[in-house]
Amino acid sequence: MTVRDPLTGLTGFTDIKTPLAEIEQPPFEIPRTVPKLRYFLQAALALEFLTIPPYLTAMYTIKPGANQEAWYALRAVVLEEMLHMTLVANMLNAVGGKPVVADPRFVTDYPAKLPYAKEQVPIALRGFGREAIRTGLWIERPEKMEDLPRTGKEPDPRGWTSIGQFYATIREGMRRLAEKQPDLFDGDLTRQVGPEDFYNSGGRAFPVTDLASALKAIELISEQGEGVPGSIYNPDERLFGQANELAHYFRFMEVHEERRYGPLDTPASGPTGPALPIDWTAAYRIDPQAKVADYPPDSEVRLAAEHFNQVYARLLWLLDRSFNGEPKQLQAAIPVMLELRDLAAQLYANPHPDPARAAKGVHASATFEITQAELLAAKKQLDTGAGATALLASLA
Amino acid sequence: MSPARDLDGHRYDVIVVGAGWAGSLVAKRLGSQGWRVLVLEAGTTTLDTWPGHLDAMNTFYSSLIKVPNAPYRANTAAPSPSVLDTVPHKGVHRYQSVGYLVQEGPLPYGTDYLRAGGGTGMHWLGLTPRMLPQDFKVRTEFGYGRDWPIGYDDLQHWYCEAEREIGVAGDAAEQTREIGLPFPEGYVFPMHEIPSSYVDRVMAEHLDGKTVVDPGTDEPVELRVVNTPHGRNSTPNQAYDGGRGFRPQDAVGLPNYGERCVGNASCTPICPVQAKYNPLKTQAQWSRKVTLIDRAVVSRVLVADNGRVTGVEYQAYDDPATPVATTRTVEADVVVVAAHAIESARLLLASELANSSDQVGRNLMDHPVMLAWGLMPHQVGPFRGPGSTSAFERFRMGESRKEHAPWRLVIANWGWTWAAGSPGSDVAEMLGIPETPFQQRKKALYGVPLRERLGDRIGRQIAFQFELEQDAQPGNRVTIDRRHRDALGNCRPILSYDLSDHVKKGMQAAMGVSHQIFDLLGAEERTAYQADAPSYFEYEGTGYAFNGAGHGCGTHVMGDDRRTSVVDQWQRSWDHANLYLVGCGSMPSIGTSNPSLTMSALALRSVERIHQDLTELHRPLVLRPAPAPEYAHPTEARP
Amino acid sequence: MTTGVPLTAGPLANAALPDAPPPAPPATEIDRFVALSVALTGFDAFELQGTGMAGFYLKTVVEQVGRRPYDALRKAMEQVGFDPEKLQGDVDQDLARAVTHLWYLGVWPPLSAEVHAQLQRQVANDAFTAAPEAYVQGLVWRTFHGHPQGAKAPGFGTWAAPPPGEPELPRPGEPARHHDGTTGGTR
Ligand SMILES: Cc1cc2nc3c(=O)[nH]c(=O)nc-3n(C[C@H](O)[C@H](O)[C@H](O)COP(=O)(O)OP(=O)(O)OC[C@H]3O[C@@H](n4cnc5c(N)ncnc54)[C@H](O)[C@@H]3O)c2cc1C
Ligand code: SF4
Repeated sequence: MTVRDPLTGLTGFTDIKTPLAEIEQPPFEIPRTVPKLRYFLQAALALEFLTIPPYLTAMYTIKPGANQEAWYALRAVVLEEMLHMTLVANMLNAVGGKPVVADPRFVTDYPAKLPYAKEQVPIALRGFGREAIRTGLWIERPEKMEDLPRTGKEPDPRGWTSIGQFYATIREGMRRLAEKQPDLFDGDLTRQVGPEDFYNSGGRAFPVTDLASALKAIELISEQGEGVPGSIYNPDERLFGQANELAHYFRFMEVHEERRYGPLDTPASGPTGPALPIDWTAAYRIDPQAKVADYPPDSEVRLAAEHFNQVYARLLWLLDRSFNGEPKQLQAAIPVMLELRDLAAQLYANPHPDPARAAKGVHASATFEITQAELLAAKKQLDTGAGATALLASLA
Repeated sequence: MSPARDLDGHRYDVIVVGAGWAGSLVAKRLGSQGWRVLVLEAGTTTLDTWPGHLDAMNTFYSSLIKVPNAPYRANTAAPSPSVLDTVPHKGVHRYQSVGYLVQEGPLPYGTDYLRAGGGTGMHWLGLTPRMLPQDFKVRTEFGYGRDWPIGYDDLQHWYCEAEREIGVAGDAAEQTREIGLPFPEGYVFPMHEIPSSYVDRVMAEHLDGKTVVDPGTDEPVELRVVNTPHGRNSTPNQAYDGGRGFRPQDAVGLPNYGERCVGNASCTPICPVQAKYNPLKTQAQWSRKVTLIDRAVVSRVLVADNGRVTGVEYQAYDDPATPVATTRTVEADVVVVAAHAIESARLLLASELANSSDQVGRNLMDHPVMLAWGLMPHQVGPFRGPGSTSAFERFRMGESRKEHAPWRLVIANWGWTWAAGSPGSDVAEMLGIPETPFQQRKKALYGVPLRERLGDRIGRQIAFQFELEQDAQPGNRVTIDRRHRDALGNCRPILSYDLSDHVKKGMQAAMGVSHQIFDLLGAEERTAYQADAPSYFEYEGTGYAFNGAGHGCGTHVMGDDRRTSVVDQWQRSWDHANLYLVGCGSMPSIGTSNPSLTMSALALRSVERIHQDLTELHRPLVLRPAPAPEYAHPTEARP
Repeated sequence: MTTGVPLTAGPLANAALPDAPPPAPPATEIDRFVALSVALTGFDAFELQGTGMAGFYLKTVVEQVGRRPYDALRKAMEQVGFDPEKLQGDVDQDLARAVTHLWYLGVWPPLSAEVHAQLQRQVANDAFTAAPEAYVQGLVWRTFHGHPQGAKAPGFGTWAAPPPGEPELPRPGEPARHHDGTTGGTR
């Protein structure tokens, strides 16, 4: 398939031949009941999570020591996506919902279709390269504000056109519901993840306890990605008193264009600052559609790829628990992410087990596949207190 | 020469010499009070950018021996000592100093400091224990060393302030319970404690509640593993500051990148994520009133006939590799020398200042570190987390101090890295590779047996650091001699260093305690002091060796008598009322606490006094019938 | 402001690149080097390849001792059925030591003085870290489930957890908590 990017005018993604997986999207309407709102927020959770594996893949396929600016850009974006997930979970908990994470339906297959968009943009697990960065540009692209769904008797036939529009719709739904229902945000406070449990570069989590904090969360999520409207910066300075920082889209744009934004640059000007040389070859080449099943059974790569997915399943459980009444578990999630980093790096450094593909310079992949069996095994492991996790969750 | 650095003729309210730890704190506070502060830094300031930090990381990765100064680039204009400079030698002494420091004493001062923006605090380990109330009066209470002119209570407020500036993580209630430290009512540290390591937990499991006998006094001492306060990020304590919580400072040079300690286990020499406090984090908070000039080696403090200092002379250079400098001067109302204990003394001696007491450079102290190491019967997970997270604290206090020097018994988390150069030395040993190419090679172990033997050996490594209090001795001193100069022509520090019998008795007792602890642990003790080690000495028939801790103190001690001390309790020179000497050099005794927290408390306390001095100086002139005598020392003028 | 902050550590970032040109040796040669290294180090091919250093180390070895002595070592290893214990001859033995040392620590060690002379090496017989990344990828840390000091940090508080196979222990001063699960950790 070929996709033309209306912003850059570039066509790309011609390498993806298989049909794209789609995550479940709510109907194109403003949520008018609390259960509907919860459904929307659960969909938002899945949306935030969808972006993390592609970014991690791009980051960990960069060869050690190379392209450090791109590496740090991706790292910052991943951490902010984690924060977004956490804030969405806080909103969902605030309105009495129960976030679902450790469920095979929560995790999409890749390549997936970019949700809330008309175009068929494949979100694939790509090694670091222009296409990977372009995928990020698609995910984070700033929108001129599209119309919200119309409220009428008939369903609005137009359908979603952007992620920004999706969040604006949630915001509108929350606003209207809060007017009618003053206790909308009266969810159990102990389920909220606070700054004690999540602080890092990229802001700190805050509890959602009323409409104001919910709106702040939505604003943060949209603007860390796309920028404060009309600007290339994210809202951290205003919201957290942190240093002025580029929004995700513009960070990716810098890498893509191999040039930095200057102090006077705007979204329209593009980056005109100093050059930012990227070595596109200093990355492991991988198959963007790799699956565990591609690797011969019992091969070292197969075992490692499976092991990776088991640890990934453990991460899902920790997130699930963090968002369901045990916020301290979030501390245990970070070491698991770092463990995933090391396991993934080993995979990417290994040649593809198929000699023909290895000869073409293709390397093995972490596939981020999750099955029910893996989730069950991971849960059992956690319940017996495996590794650092039980202990970490008891700290502080 | 960039015009910005040509300050000839400029005048500031305050000049701070040294953009290290103490200097950065002083500049921050004075700057935010509105004073125009000039900070002159001898070294380069590349570490406050992210590329500079990454460069240091790569230099560290590449270095063969990962000593504290390994990540930092050499600078011939402002040289720094290295721990590799003291080498074995067969001569009058067993050692020779081949680097920047000239050493002439019986024993080596075997440690370093860093002359670059941020100073030695770039590679400190990050432990911030307070001193004990009894540490301030060792002469009166225990009959050795020197007393302070002030006590713990005078510092209480400033300790709290220092803990805020550094962002200390710890458990204040435990510090009171186990060590008896008084805190203000309801006080908590800015952050929750850094989790105790698995090694600590193993120690606690085997040793908590057990007793050992102090061979120096025959008294039993109870063992208890106590978590150490740290200057590194953990979880902010929401209860801090009356419920306002605490916001840790980000990394320097990369916006919004700052995180909790992630366990890189390289705090000394460099923390990759900057979870550990370093003075550049304080510099990042400087107001616009503070100007920093780097590559400016202060060579003299200038003084007028009336005894007041007028400013400083400094050597501005461009290229740290080719030391060619231009000499310049700059003036100020107050000069603060904060160049590190040894360098501050060197500068005063070179300026021929502040020394009517003849104490400048004397009373040099460190915490001599006696290492003890061994193998546990099982895996303990070493080389993880900060260098140390806990200690046994009971040996720091009490009547035994009359008999021998006290110590802090620090539990090391990094196996034998300091004691024996692990894990590199283990690999070499098992491959049969000797120290030099000329020695006979042994049979090597390979394959799975090699992997397993190494894992078994390294994973069981434990080590203790007995960090002893060193008492102030006038003979332990820094001097200068025109024959020993550096590339810019500045006199290099000449050290004469030794351990008193009080300290040696402490080592003797510590060794006895060490044996008992290895027994209680069921561990195999591997401690061995080589007779050709630079610091090797014998005491009452037994051989010992020790390392430096990097805690240089006591070269411009404070006191309440101008005849016997260099500065007053405000760290103000007795001889020059507008000259402050700020740093560990002011400490007349150092207890068994790593000194930088106490140093910071003292520095912040001095800022209050400097602020008062400046305010008085700048007060509009009012004619009075009988003017007070000019330039008398303020504390004498106001008894 | 993030704009204008250059993030590269300049030339060193490039020095860190394990396989910058001149062209890396063809894959099969790397495979053979890895096979030999498996026998020397006790780590399997996946783990060795997983460091990303195989090609760079091969290049380093050849640069240090020359093509022929390296080929000789390889043949000798084949002849002894990849059992390095059976290697004869000072040169082969010392090269085997050096290759193993390189994998374990990222450091090329000095050879014995005789072997150095025998090989007529044109380079100094000094130890050096092959590349910043070589230190980070040292195998020694894996032998005890650790990580290199200053890299691959495992996360806040992980140092409090037991190494694989050891029991959980309470923090000092706390009553013991019991559970009997196996420990997680890396392969
Ligand atoms: C390996 C190691 C580990 C340590 N760990 C700990 C610990 O865990 N806990 C603890 O409390 N302490 C620790 N310390 C001690 C701590 O680092 C020092 O106490 C502290 O840095 C001293 O601060 P300072 O400001 O006096 O000196 P520095 O921090 O050294 O700063 C002095 C500054 O002055 C500059 N300077 C020097 N000469 C001149 C000149 N002529 N002109 C202009 N500028 C000049 C220097 O370049 C430097 O920037 C450790 C030290 C070492 C070496
Ligand atoms: S353990 Fe690591 S992350 Fe923590 S302070 Fe030390 S170096 Fe920094």
